[in-house]
Amino acid sequence: MNGFDYISAKDLLDALTILDREAGNACPVAGATNVVVKAQSGRLKDKLLVSIDGLNELRGIREEGGFVCIGALTTLAEIAKSELLKEKAYVLWQAAQVFADPVIRNRATIGGNIADASPTSDTAPPLLALNAEVVIQSLRGERTLLLDDFFFNVCKTALEDDELITSVRFRPCETGAFVKLGLRNAMAKTLISAAAIVHLDDEGKVANCTIAMGSVAPRPIRARHAEQAIIGKALTEETLTQMKEAVLIDIDPIESIRASKFYRMNVACTIAERAVRGAIV
Amino acid sequence: MITIHLTINGEPVTAEVRPDEMLVSLIRRRLGLTGTKESCCVGECGACTVILNGKAVKSCVMLAAQCDGKEVVTIEGLQLNGELHPLQRCFVEANAVQCGFCTPGFIMTALAYLSEHPNPTRDEIRSAISGNLCRCTGYEQIIDAIESYVDQTNASA
Repeated sequence: MNGFDYISAKDLLDALTILDREAGNACPVAGATNVVVKAQSGRLKDKLLVSIDGLNELRGIREEGGFVCIGALTTLAEIAKSELLKEKAYVLWQAAQVFADPVIRNRATIGGNIADASPTSDTAPPLLALNAEVVIQSLRGERTLLLDDFFFNVCKTALEDDELITSVRFRPCETGAFVKLGLRNAMAKTLISAAAIVHLDDEGKVANCTIAMGSVAPRPIRARHAEQAIIGKALTEETLTQMKEAVLIDIDPIESIRASKFYRMNVACTIAERAVRGAIV
Repeated sequence: MITIHLTINGEPVTAEVRPDEMLVSLIRRRLGLTGTKESCCVGECGACTVILNGKAVKSCVMLAAQCDGKEVVTIEGLQLNGELHPLQRCFVEANAVQCGFCTPGFIMTALAYLSEHPNPTRDEIRSAISGNLCRCTGYEQIIDAIESYVDQTNASA
């Protein structure tokens, strides 16, 4: 292991005080499933890991002021088991069922997955489709940011060194679909993912919709051209073909050991289509 | 060094751990409990699975320092008076073991899962152990073993 130091924060104020004092030398750690892997590759050398594992005030799923709020330390296992989320954030609940594997889900937290900002994140597309907001705290105060404005680039976010994600929140939505393509069923890094929420009007036309995708760009994205291609239209084969063509404007996937760019471009259109079809069932 | 107090297989343990020490290293190298296997070291294979406060976790991606105040059960903690745990016996009887390296991880994952889901279907068992890799058996016998343990437990309940 490439050495780092460790301190356990007693409560939120303690954690924020340490992050403030360390000015960029600190890295919060909760479930550690990702942080440890990062540390092994030497990316956290000489950093101070601040364990926030004991901050129970950041755990739990609740409804508040018309929002569904999920504490940053809520595990993916808790999300996958939540009846509240199954009913009020189906698309996120569905993604939690296929996130990593059941044992990793016991430790991995939603705040950690967002902060990690991997383009392959499996919580990001559903949260983007839900128009989620990230609640962030520091000693300077609290701010709320649209998740879409939080992600910058590969593992780069709007989070400042002294800040901690405390929760994520969104308006309830009982419909939607998440589709993930990986090379195996468990512990598969996502090759392409898509989350879609589609609302039809009385005439069967798309009143509004959100489509978000993973592993198609340096950060999880909203596929806005794809959304525009179906809004106001009936979901005919023709409109879906137009949507799939629009997906290609939205995405810029990488060539990697897991899949070629050509493959990803082709498959992304199909995965987005499956998510949209799944969202209206 | 960080001083931690935890319970391992029911015994209170006080240990001085390095900040970058993993739980698997504490269990194997310092406490000599080598039943827990160390393999991928990145949380992919499940060989190092132990039960932490009732939940299965991969001890290769678990910081030892974060286990302060927690209860850990390893494969060694399952025996009762020198007898194998009934689930271990089911693994033996179903030929669910070839090289045996992955077996402790499978057993810990299955036990933690069954404590919350005592009556799973075969598909649910399959999904519950999907984070554990076995390169010998092809999984069928492992699922058979867990299924037969479930049947035995429910029959005697």
